[in-house]
Amino acid sequence: MADNKDKPFFVGYLTAPDGLRSFLIGIGIGLILLMAGVGLGIGATQDDPGNGAFRGDYGRQTVTGVMELTPYPVVRVTQGSEHVPEGHTLMLSAGGKQSLMSRVRDLDGQLVTVSGTILDRGELDMMQVRGGQNGISRAEGDAPEMDSEDLGRWRIAGEICDGKCLAGAMRPGTGIAHKACANLCLIGDIPPVFVSTQPVEGSEFLLVVGPDGTIFPKSAYDLVAAYISVEGKVVRHGDLLVFHLEPDTAELVQ
Amino acid sequence: MMAAGLVIFAEYWLMVGAVVALFFLTIGIDRIDEDARGAYIFRPLLVPGVLLIWPMVLWRWYALETGRADEAKRYKAVRGAYGFVAIGMAIAIGVIIATGLSIKQTWPAHIAPELLSEAGQ
Repeated sequence: MADNKDKPFFVGYLTAPDGLRSFLIGIGIGLILLMAGVGLGIGATQDDPGNGAFRGDYGRQTVTGVMELTPYPVVRVTQGSEHVPEGHTLMLSAGGKQSLMSRVRDLDGQLVTVSGTILDRGELDMMQVRGGQNGISRAEGDAPEMDSEDLGRWRIAGEICDGKCLAGAMRPGTGIAHKACANLCLIGDIPPVFVSTQPVEGSEFLLVVGPDGTIFPKSAYDLVAAYISVEGKVVRHGDLLVFHLEPDTAELVQ
Repeated sequence: MMAAGLVIFAEYWLMVGAVVALFFLTIGIDRIDEDARGAYIFRPLLVPGVLLIWPMVLWRWYALETGRADEAKRYKAVRGAYGFVAIGMAIAIGVIIATGLSIKQTWPAHIAPELLSEAGQ
């Protein structure tokens, strides 16, 4: 006990004793460097989240076009806006993790006007449509005939994401860390998007549907966010490719 | 499959926890903690914790009911393990990060799309 009396003893609210000062400074600096190194190391190994974002700076965009249920709702734009060109095929969602499907069920093939906020990630974009009649309504006039082109059956590699987060609702909107969020979006019938390793007929992003043109099958939820190779039919709807994904053909790639 | 199994396991775990919470917070806590007798408002606050660590709650309930609990020995044992646990956790964090990075998939940029059959074939 006599020896302990002379030992320096740290008390938080008192000046550090001489014998412990250099030790405490060393530990303090060491921890700062260690944490900075760990942070740098973890950050450096993460993938680039991309430049997707809600484009509130565009202001509200209102376009007219033909509603197509792929079954996920898209609008083949016939009358564009400042940031949505005519001829574009625009994917749609409602707020949060909700789809528009219940609101557009009777509008397939109809001329509609949609209004909302654009999410933009370069080649990929989507509109988050406003609520009620302000967001979507029938437009005057007859809907022009819209064709689609079967591009054959493909095997492509890449990742299934939810189109909304990928387009900019979340950063990152890809990868394993985002898998649970992506699956919640898909449960809410947000349009899924396949990010291809290389462009398919000029497009890196393809809207994903089930093998028979149904909504994304629940059996494929486990494939979301993993890097996979998978087969399916590709159909061009305007400037948007729709991938009829066949989950049974999926393979993990390394 | 693995994910679905984990979710089912978690559901059953929480269901059992709910049953334990019901009996422990209405009957058990009065029997093993005299300070809790007549006090009820705080009990709902314990529900989330009991849902998660119900095996420990059952064990402590059993130990206190049967007189097997040796409080002094119990706390001494916990203090004695601090050093081992601290080092173990530090190592575990490193191992978990390293394992995660080592099994992380690499973006297969080299795999080009392959046309398997033309339209209509």
